[in-house]
Amino acid sequence: MSVPLLELDGVTRRYGALVALDHVDLKVEAGEVRAVIGPNGAGKTTLFNVITGTVRPTAGAIRFAGQAIGRRPSHEVCRLGISRTFQITALFPEMSARANAQLAAQARHARRWQPFGGNKIFKEARARADAALEQLGLSGIADCPAGLLSHGDQRLLEVAMAMAQQPQMLLLDEPTQGLSVEETAQAVDTLARFLKASRMTVLLVEHDMEVVFRLAHRITVLHRGAVIADGVPDAVKADPRVQEAYLGGFD
Amino acid sequence: MKGVTRLVWIVIAAGLVLAPLGLPPFAMTLLTEAVILGLFAMSLDLMFGYTRLVSFGHAAAYGFGAYASGWLLLHTGMPLLFAVFAAALLTGVLAIGVGWMCTLATGVSFSMLTLALAQLLYAISFKWTSVTGGSDGLAGIPRTIGPFGFAALSSKTGFYYLALACLVGGFLVCLALVRSPFGAVLRGIRENEAKTTALGYNTRLYKIAVVAISYGLGGLAGALYAPFAGFANTELLFWLLSGQVLIMVIVGGSGTLVGPVLGAAFFMLMEHQLSAWTEAWALYFGLIFIAFVLFAPEGLWGLATRLRRPARPGP
Repeated sequence: MSVPLLELDGVTRRYGALVALDHVDLKVEAGEVRAVIGPNGAGKTTLFNVITGTVRPTAGAIRFAGQAIGRRPSHEVCRLGISRTFQITALFPEMSARANAQLAAQARHARRWQPFGGNKIFKEARARADAALEQLGLSGIADCPAGLLSHGDQRLLEVAMAMAQQPQMLLLDEPTQGLSVEETAQAVDTLARFLKASRMTVLLVEHDMEVVFRLAHRITVLHRGAVIADGVPDAVKADPRVQEAYLGGFD
Repeated sequence: MKGVTRLVWIVIAAGLVLAPLGLPPFAMTLLTEAVILGLFAMSLDLMFGYTRLVSFGHAAAYGFGAYASGWLLLHTGMPLLFAVFAAALLTGVLAIGVGWMCTLATGVSFSMLTLALAQLLYAISFKWTSVTGGSDGLAGIPRTIGPFGFAALSSKTGFYYLALACLVGGFLVCLALVRSPFGAVLRGIRENEAKTTALGYNTRLYKIAVVAISYGLGGLAGALYAPFAGFANTELLFWLLSGQVLIMVIVGGSGTLVGPVLGAAFFMLMEHQLSAWTEAWALYFGLIFIAFVLFAPEGLWGLATRLRRPARPGP
């Protein structure tokens, strides 16, 4: 096996007496789509926050592409090549879909802060933005204000914004959260097509088991902050501890 | 439509440039003050309109600039032009500290910190009598000509052109700024700061920078006011002025740069007309302000552009 792109080693996060993450070990290989599942309060979102530098781990080490990132602020982690989406849709509602993706792309430019001119910077960012919108099938609504898009398109736009940053790794926090059954089916179709075509490394948190089994290559199960299972979807599905902790009567 | 817009601009520009030929001295005084206040309101628009950083203490920039240029003109013999720009620069540099401190907080707390700092300066202006003249303020501020000429700038008409040049220059700087990549990040902060941070922007640095630029330009307006009026007093640091400049920005149309300049002129005009008619002019202007907030939140400039363009198709 090659060196993993993302590696967590004994990562722990405490909030007072509460242990949100309990010695989590996790390895994600390049090109892999990894899902993290677990009941509410299992520590999935904390895991994302710790990886992206929004929250500092109490103990343990995080390495991304060979660099320690456990103590870095989130904007630096982001610039190293990890882009994320949020569980609750976070967009710039008055800007067009393209302007949203363009601002995301601009963040990767060395002169993103230039206080005058900037036509060249805008042009490069726009090219990346348009490419990312295309990947997620959003070219048709590029000029629409993000706040007016359907909820499904808004979720996909968030993924497009992350892709416009040309990341090495994508963190998706419940990409189908809040979508209706029909919207979810459509969004998952688009995501599946996009993931297959892009070979992007993904860490995915998702509640909807059908979505997980459709998109993920491997699944890690969190329960009360600790990893209780880790493997290919069928193995995880069959694991009795997982069934007891989470899936309930899934089969 | 584009041709009409251009024509309107040419007429306005020509009117401003030729104003001293036609207007009586009294009207020129009002117009000069409107230009200075316009620059002040425009500087606040960078924070309020483009970044949604609500300063309740923008008088700090204006008053500090006024005291600084007044002090330099009174005590150093520095020529007018240098004193004005030195005072503006000093305001901007000190505002880096203001920005650093105020951006420790966000939202209402940010506004309260700007207010607190302005009130601090207000208190200092009363107590530090040896420098500020206490409650009398600085009086008899000269428009020193200096060794390099520029004598024309010290005359009434010349000073008007100086103020106008500062307004136009400030406008061009602000326009370049808001259309640049930097400006795009400011709009991101305005609409969703958490997301802007998540995209990899160090939003706090952008906010500190915009506070420094905004205060610097506000300081430039104040630095012009002191030699214009011949005095600088504590009123220039008072919270009432901070509130008034916010009203100018909102009535004129925030996030447009031009709007706040219009708002400042409108405010002055109303103050002048209404106060000639009633002592309670502020009450009536308050009603006008409420009407704007309720019925025309896009402000005077928004109303003007709505007339100019056909109604936008709905979503």
